[in-house]
Amino acid sequence: MVCVLLISGCSIWPGQDDSANNKKVALTLWYWNRSIDDKLIARAKEKFPNIELTAQKIGGDFKAKLKTTLAARSGEPDIVALNDWIMELFPSEDRFYNLYDLGAEDIEDQYLPWKWKQGVTPSGQMIGFPMDTGPTALFYREDLFKEAGLPSEPEDVTRQINSWDAYATAGEQLKEKFAGKVYLTDNIGSVYNQVLSQGAERYFRPDGSFIGMDSALVRTSWDTSIAFKEKGLLANADGWTPGWNAAMNNGEIASFVGAVWMKQVLQEAAPDTSGKWRVARAPGGDGNNGGSFLSILKSSEHPQEAFELVRWLQSPENQLEQYQTLNLFPSAPGVFDDPAMKEEEPFFGGQATGPVFAESAQQVPDAFFGERYPSVHNIITRRLNDVAKQNADPQQVWTDTVHRVERELQR
Amino acid sequence: MWSRMWEHRALYVAISPFYILFAVFGLFPIGFSLYLAFHKWDGIGVMTYNGFNNFKYMLTDAEFWQAVGNTFMIWIYSTIPMLFFALIIAFLLHAPFVKFRTLFRVGYFLPNVTSIVAVAIIFGALFANNYGFLNYLLQSVGLPVVEWLNAPWGIKVAISSMVVWRWTGYNAVIYLAGLQSIPQTLYEAAKIDGASAIQSFFRITIPMLRPVILFTVITSTIGGMQLFTEPQVLVGNDGGAGAAGMTIVLYLYRESFINNYFGYGAAVGWGMFLIIALFSIVNWKLVQGKSS
Repeated sequence: MVCVLLISGCSIWPGQDDSANNKKVALTLWYWNRSIDDKLIARAKEKFPNIELTAQKIGGDFKAKLKTTLAARSGEPDIVALNDWIMELFPSEDRFYNLYDLGAEDIEDQYLPWKWKQGVTPSGQMIGFPMDTGPTALFYREDLFKEAGLPSEPEDVTRQINSWDAYATAGEQLKEKFAGKVYLTDNIGSVYNQVLSQGAERYFRPDGSFIGMDSALVRTSWDTSIAFKEKGLLANADGWTPGWNAAMNNGEIASFVGAVWMKQVLQEAAPDTSGKWRVARAPGGDGNNGGSFLSILKSSEHPQEAFELVRWLQSPENQLEQYQTLNLFPSAPGVFDDPAMKEEEPFFGGQATGPVFAESAQQVPDAFFGERYPSVHNIITRRLNDVAKQNADPQQVWTDTVHRVERELQR
Repeated sequence: MWSRMWEHRALYVAISPFYILFAVFGLFPIGFSLYLAFHKWDGIGVMTYNGFNNFKYMLTDAEFWQAVGNTFMIWIYSTIPMLFFALIIAFLLHAPFVKFRTLFRVGYFLPNVTSIVAVAIIFGALFANNYGFLNYLLQSVGLPVVEWLNAPWGIKVAISSMVVWRWTGYNAVIYLAGLQSIPQTLYEAAKIDGASAIQSFFRITIPMLRPVILFTVITSTIGGMQLFTEPQVLVGNDGGAGAAGMTIVLYLYRESFINNYFGYGAAVGWGMFLIIALFSIVNWKLVQGKSS
């Protein structure tokens, strides 16, 4: 019995490859709920009869589970979904297949270049295949903007509220009109994030060196956030809290700059405001938040088959389908003109928001993140919260933050 | 010795599961974390020897010391009222005039077996800055709202109240057991000598309970120093506004599993071990000192 298992497992007869043997290639795929459509996975099993696909929905802290598995070097899946924290895994690029070696180059032109680059490590290895993206735009309450005497049609908003200064001015008008009962936007972190996401750099150069806290982009993002706080435009409602949901639903927050996937979040948080929201291009430029990737782990015995599967799952047509089923915004611009992307949405008062995000997605600047992006970024947003919520002195907090970041980079 | 062990091998085999499990899940992680504390490791890649750098970094790390301070503050905010209420509840449960005592005992113990995550979510709704229940109450009686989760003390009060809610009943049941072991004859003798209820409480009950009090103080010290889930669910991995809810274990968790400094996380774990050990000794001396 053991002998039979050993022999069949090792396929010691040369010349008899798997397909000739009519044996299936077993592949496992790890993903999280709503990152791949379950129906699409079911179709993949029909489409690839030679692959025995085990797709596992990993719940809980996905990143921690993946990292633990990588550290243990056992029980790794063949294919794994990664979120925008992919850069944290760049130092371990040798644990992944270079997708360029498996034929990714042939289809590179079908995907957004900035998105594609996010999956390529500084040494030029492609470890992440593009899934969905998170182009940003301005979500705003049409009725509140109109009442405050601000432009309210998406085209007018895009044209007139085109910079962070113009946006802040609109916020002051809004505040005055509603006697401080309505805030322009949700919290200081979201302002900082959004200004930063519109820039062409972050904190590090591709060679790993630190650009410095005095880079123009970091300073602009910081100063803009502080100005929003000082002008009283922030509701101090943190994302993913019941307070945020309530403030959105009660009309206390008139707008925010957010990624396309916030559509879903907003619809679930604020059902009472259906029909009152609109989407315009973000003030200050386009950016991206989030989005995911598929990777093939080095431990996989069938990288080529895995790559074919990944390529099919994320083909432009299938991305389009997942836009319709799960609201996952495609990273393949070829499908942006499809009628399915231009459907009118009742929650947004019948506006077709797809084209706004499609336009934004094509203008996202290239930016290198680097594996230390999360820790540096986290220090800064944490300190900004001290300014917003505890009225800490901005100048003092800035000095502390610079010092703290320097210390962080020394470890 | 070995021949005697071999003679009794059946017995050793019978008790071995505990030792094997302890070696795998207890001893090995402890040894590994000590090894890790002297290395730099991102959790996946290669480990590099780092000497005492992790410890040096820890000693000069303002955030670590803030976490230590926060943990102590929360410990004080929670342990004192918790043990005080527990003693009163135990005393009442022991009193002959209280009816349905079993029902109350179960009732007071119930919070202890409730999921902390669920508790933290409910307390989050109570203490929320906007639309929180406490602020609703304050507003409805015409008082200004308190931004509980923005103020450093407010966050600590919210976390402490969760600890108090959860552990008061547990400690009350332990005190109750202690009360029941005090011989009734002592009280009778005191009564004959003309002692009042208060006198017999302070002269008989408290001294006789001293070992039980010591036990609860030490267990709540260890528990308080290891506080994690309550702040994590209530205010998140960064400890909320101004990191006022950042406890030592939350800091250890964030540095290891969010920022991927596993070596540093291990060093923080050993730092915490030292703090708990020192603190337990101090407690021991304080509570035990008088009786000896």
